[in-house]
Amino acid sequence: MQTGAAAPETAAPDTAGLTKAQLRRMRRFDNPWRNPKLITGVSILLGIIALGLLGRLFWDMDLVFTGSGMPRQAPVGIENIRGQVGTLAHPLGTDVSGKDILALLIVGAPNSLYVGVLASVIGMSLGIFLGFTAGFVGGRTDDVIRVSSDVMITIPPLLILVVFQAAYGDITLTMMAMLIACFVWQSPTRLIRAQVLSMRESGYVQMARLSGASTGHIMFREMLPNLVPYLFGSFIANVTTSIVTAVGLEVLGLGPQRVPTLGRVIYDAINSGALIQNMWWWWGIPTILLALMFVGLLLINLGLDEVSNPRLRRL
Amino acid sequence: MTVLEIKDVSIDFPTSRGVVHAVTDVSLSVPQGRRIGFIGESGSGKTTTALAAMRMLAAPGFVSAGEIHLNSLGKTDILKLNEEEMRRVRLRKIAYIPQGAMNSLNPVMRVEHQIWDGIIAHEGAVTQAELQRRSDAALEGVGLDPTIVGRLFPHELSGGMKQRVCIAIGVCLDPDLIIADEPTSALDVITQRHVMQTLREVQAKIGAGLILIGHDMGLMAQSVDDIAVLKKGELVEFGPTRQIIENPRHPYTKELISSVPLVGGESFLDPSAAPKAAGGDSATPLLELKGVSKRYGAVTALHPMSFRLDGAVPQIISIVGQSGSGKSTMGSLMLGFNAPSTGEVLFRGQDVYRQHAAEKLAFRKDVQAVFQDPYACFNPFYRVNHALKFPFERFGLSEGPDHTRAAMEDACRAVGLAPETVLNRYPHQLSGGQRQRLIVARALMLSPKLLIADEPVSMVDASLRATILKNIHDLKDQHGISILYITHDLATAYHVSDFVMVLYKGHVVEAGPPKEVIGDPQHAYTRLLIDSIPWPELDRDWGSADDARAALDKLAEVDRRPDTVYRGSVPGFELSQG
Repeated sequence: MQTGAAAPETAAPDTAGLTKAQLRRMRRFDNPWRNPKLITGVSILLGIIALGLLGRLFWDMDLVFTGSGMPRQAPVGIENIRGQVGTLAHPLGTDVSGKDILALLIVGAPNSLYVGVLASVIGMSLGIFLGFTAGFVGGRTDDVIRVSSDVMITIPPLLILVVFQAAYGDITLTMMAMLIACFVWQSPTRLIRAQVLSMRESGYVQMARLSGASTGHIMFREMLPNLVPYLFGSFIANVTTSIVTAVGLEVLGLGPQRVPTLGRVIYDAINSGALIQNMWWWWGIPTILLALMFVGLLLINLGLDEVSNPRLRRL
Repeated sequence: MTVLEIKDVSIDFPTSRGVVHAVTDVSLSVPQGRRIGFIGESGSGKTTTALAAMRMLAAPGFVSAGEIHLNSLGKTDILKLNEEEMRRVRLRKIAYIPQGAMNSLNPVMRVEHQIWDGIIAHEGAVTQAELQRRSDAALEGVGLDPTIVGRLFPHELSGGMKQRVCIAIGVCLDPDLIIADEPTSALDVITQRHVMQTLREVQAKIGAGLILIGHDMGLMAQSVDDIAVLKKGELVEFGPTRQIIENPRHPYTKELISSVPLVGGESFLDPSAAPKAAGGDSATPLLELKGVSKRYGAVTALHPMSFRLDGAVPQIISIVGQSGSGKSTMGSLMLGFNAPSTGEVLFRGQDVYRQHAAEKLAFRKDVQAVFQDPYACFNPFYRVNHALKFPFERFGLSEGPDHTRAAMEDACRAVGLAPETVLNRYPHQLSGGQRQRLIVARALMLSPKLLIADEPVSMVDASLRATILKNIHDLKDQHGISILYITHDLATAYHVSDFVMVLYKGHVVEAGPPKEVIGDPQHAYTRLLIDSIPWPELDRDWGSADDARAALDKLAEVDRRPDTVYRGSVPGFELSQG
């Protein structure tokens, strides 16, 4: 009997004659998690979360209330329209009613992120459940799920949300997240259904069936782990969509009325004529923060793509 | 006159683990009108070397040393041409016939337009009448009717026709050199013979050099004048076909030649091992098919058939046929994956498709399978142990982690793998051969009563095929497992099986002991299959393209009246059609 087994017949790699920098790049290539895009994206988001957490410790949160400071103050060292120079009491300035912008951001940024993440978590869970069911059960169930997700994709979410919010009046952050979740389950459903359909015929699923595995085992132990990269990517994309939708509603004045969020700050700025009064810090700084949030999420998504798909990685 | 000269070429691939020297110092020349075969296993650098001549290496590979000269370009090194000059060389001087014709043709363009594309790209404005004339000539040259086939889209053609269209595109500009990269690996033997004969004819007509890349020594023997044997990127032997086949010098060449199983030749199995009787009562047969058929919509994949496998003495029953003959459908029917349209599948007297959960689990334990693709059979997320350990524990065979571990190690050793080199690895770290043997080891651990082996060696390198078949054969002799061996390869079926069924379009056309069915075929289809196998013997000629065409016509006749030729039976197995 022949023992041992041939390793792949290709010649072995050769590391001689490479510089140290090249070797370091190679190692980085080998460990996909040390991806520069992923690391940058995660740091940006962690930075925003840290702003929310540490800000509460080091800054006075009562400054979010009306009249807590001089109105229309510019950021430190900058003159406003009346020639007053901004002070350290309000490093990022104040709005027309004297609310401190920094305090608004510290409270508002985590709120916006919270809505996005919560909506996405609910939407993804729904999507995973429905996608697996559709792909695995097939038949009539599949038809119902597929058609309803396709129909939902064609309906513009903002239209429904505007009607809903207008009818409801004031709502909480959590309720808003749940409403948005109703519109972000479709694409994960479709994605997972397609993956499950192709995976169902794959050799290792056949092998698992031969091994007497239960449906639950095949779904969650054999298929789900291989879907993780897709799920991550889809999750991050959904967080972005949810935040955009939430901010859109808030800027229209349809968000929660009592809780400061980034979109709400922008709504107030537009409503109180910040553009005419040249109070750029009022709408500009929250916008920059939102932009940063999206850049962070985008980088994480790109980074995860490279982690799960080595062909995108460059040496 | 030399058409192509490759001088001391080395090709490197920088990867994350260092530089892979895919090809080292290969020198070779292709004379005009001569056919050269590049043979070697996967990863040996045969395709890479040929692609370097077209400057079409996949990134990040590059030629690190050496020169490649094309005679018609004079002294210029191909590797020094710029992109536009190189574009003009491709197709006009060097044509490439790809492996998967299915994916190489543009699905939204008519066949003749795709030929025109090449002509226009190289000659600029050509009149419509001239284009038509030339595409017609090219299609006629490969034996296709230009008035019909030229107007068709690729999906309307069969696999063999598509490959011939690719040949027509390749030769429409009369290149100096044709590189054919395993042009028939996706085709069955009958079509393979026709396509190869067409390629030879066309190449002889335009007098081009031909580089044929492949891993099948038999195909090489029938198709080329000289053979270059590559191993791990080095040219280990080069010489005229007759010399290489009859008097190989390098041990690797010998290994490649001996790995081609022959009908009637020496067996690669050890005949001395006596089969061990399987326990179990012989009153109820192990497996019984009663009037089983399978239809997919209007297509009948399997016509009603019945058989009875006693299983008291383990046997290997081979089911032989081309793709689309219904042989894999039979496999999945017997595994309980695919309910039959009529009839019933009985395992130990119980209908496989009417079992409750506990019976189903017992059935699963007793009927196991080895599938075609060893790359897909392991979940990439887990270490390979998972595939072996999970069923072992699931079927309640394990007496604790240590026992499982010991059983896994024993099973690995039994199939000739050293446990420490394969266990605890991820699937991508193992070669195809190692994985397939692990799947056999997995079946062994479960000691089923019946094993369905669906093309177990068709995706494994030739040199390992014999070993894996031997492993499977051992299951029968040493462990008393009855085996259904599904294959398209008559030669291996000849050696391993006790009984052979030849399937054609869902009908059993010939059945009996292998010595009769394959050694002395009576049915027209079986004979055609045997004649189409490329033998690694030069004196056993393949015939001309006309022969191949006549054979295909004969096959069309068979279509109309498929009848079964019974060639005797073996005890413990009964077959009936209808």
